[in-house]
Amino acid sequence: MISKVLVANRGEIALRVIRACRELGIRSVAVYSTADRDSLHHELADESVCIGPPPAASSYLNVPAIISAAELTGADAVHPGYGFLAENARFAEICERVGLTFVGPKSSTIARMGDKAEARETAVEAGVTVTPGSEGTCESAREVKRVGAEVGYPLVIKASAGGGGKGMRVVEAESEVEGAYLEASREAGANFGDGSVYVEKYLERLRHVEMQVLTDRHGTAVTFPERDCSIQRRYQKLIEESPAPGLPEDVREGMMDASERLVGSLDYEGAGTVEFVYADGEFYFIEMNTRLQVEHPVTEMISGVDIVAEQLAVASGGRLEIPSEALSPNGHAIEFRINAEDPNRNFLPQAGLVEVYNPPGGPGVRVDSHLYAGYRVSSHYDSLLAKLIVHSRDREGAIRRGLRALDEFAVSGMETTLPLHLAVLEDEEFLRGGVTTSFLAERNLESEGGLLRLNRVPA
Amino acid sequence: MPETEENLKGQLPLEEVERLVELLQESGVGEIRVRQGETEISVKARPEALAAPRPATYGVPEMVEPEPTPEMDGLHAVRSPVVGTFYRAPAPGEDSYVEVGDVVSAGQTLCIVEAMKLMNEIVADVSGEIVEVLAENAGGVEYDQPLFYLRPDEQ
Repeated sequence: MISKVLVANRGEIALRVIRACRELGIRSVAVYSTADRDSLHHELADESVCIGPPPAASSYLNVPAIISAAELTGADAVHPGYGFLAENARFAEICERVGLTFVGPKSSTIARMGDKAEARETAVEAGVTVTPGSEGTCESAREVKRVGAEVGYPLVIKASAGGGGKGMRVVEAESEVEGAYLEASREAGANFGDGSVYVEKYLERLRHVEMQVLTDRHGTAVTFPERDCSIQRRYQKLIEESPAPGLPEDVREGMMDASERLVGSLDYEGAGTVEFVYADGEFYFIEMNTRLQVEHPVTEMISGVDIVAEQLAVASGGRLEIPSEALSPNGHAIEFRINAEDPNRNFLPQAGLVEVYNPPGGPGVRVDSHLYAGYRVSSHYDSLLAKLIVHSRDREGAIRRGLRALDEFAVSGMETTLPLHLAVLEDEEFLRGGVTTSFLAERNLESEGGLLRLNRVPA
Repeated sequence: MPETEENLKGQLPLEEVERLVELLQESGVGEIRVRQGETEISVKARPEALAAPRPATYGVPEMVEPEPTPEMDGLHAVRSPVVGTFYRAPAPGEDSYVEVGDVVSAGQTLCIVEAMKLMNEIVADVSGEIVEVLAENAGGVEYDQPLFYLRPDEQ
């Protein structure tokens, strides 16, 4: 049984885990860098340990410091949140070796699915369709060209150790392969410490649809209704919703079935997400995230399940007890990521003092955030300030609620993505539902009377 | 924002000063003083910058430990560069590396901070007299936690 959890993260997700711990009567330990001395996770945890200077490599990615902090505080488990060390198999392995329960799957599973090239092979073995592309990694630009000759251009080069669009390059023609290969490999090396890349056919006009899974060590596995995360900017998700609007029932069932087959082949434990692309009636596995995801609250809202609490229960060796009605969507939920980025200036990251912070409230509204008035947003970490999640009986109701809540949401002191979200909710194609990941790229953001509007770029 | 005092002969090493100002802001210490040959740079935070009032928040607990500001008395803090366990002696039963009142020289070992079975010897970064031992033997220390106060030598 877990009695004290070290939360190896910061920001809203550290708070999310600390909150779950408090409700479960589990003690929590925050770790923080010197840039986060005034952060809520440091203040709200039962204990906290300063682990290093502001750069993440010296603090939130500093494995010896985090393990030492766990030893000093007597923590018996580590929750990695998302990002930082969440998919670092070495870290999970070290936790296992020093007797700390890593809240997540076994390190060998993380390693296998974290290597995106190997994950593709695993999916193929489990009978799950993947996008056409390389078998395993590409050791040279020449190998990329060979795949290109086979499956055709455009291609996308992806970091094998990566995710979130880092170390990722779209290649339109063979002449671009050399440069893109080098860039992707270099970026992958810088971000993940591993420069290996693989290549897939680049599908245009696709939707990003993913399945949340939760598995215990006693053989119980559940798959939640899908999330649609197609509103992205440069591969960064901005809006996620569940269920996916207009997704044909046979596709939904096919994806659930594929997720279950893949997870079943893994001896999986904990929460995970199986990601697919969906285009022209077909779906393909792209990757699996062996961790909690930013957008997990969308699923929590329509299922009533506290995914973080279940993660902790499963890590303690408990059994999943998810009522079957939780697995059919109750209403519709949408999440908006409020980032410290200026939509009017090419999403330039913002930093500074939060002067006013007034999150929305009322029925069907949830805000997960580490902000408070007087908090200083530093430029050391990612730009996520808050997640606004709205829930209603149907999509239309959720959109109306989203408009209302976004309008209420006040953050001053820096520009945020709030006006962008309002603009998306005014877009006819979004309102119809089922847009593709190129939705934002196909539109210009224009300011009209102080409000942002999205205007479709003429084709 | 910090104010900069320079007590310089010859060229102003502005880049160094900028770096120190950054370091001061990041570390939250009250003052940083460096000396090289005849050049001494001292960067001090304004007292009001240190004691910035915390804005009203919704039930946020106040910070438990106030920022240490021993530097105001001209003391120098030796801080832990790692998270770990603080040991005053090289091994159990042996004498402590240093005691209060000892005069140490820069580079001299003051203690060990053990992190993941690695013994990190922490050395004095300035010469001076040990004024206070701040951490408890065999207790845990955080990154950046002050371990000793030294009164730096006059030069």
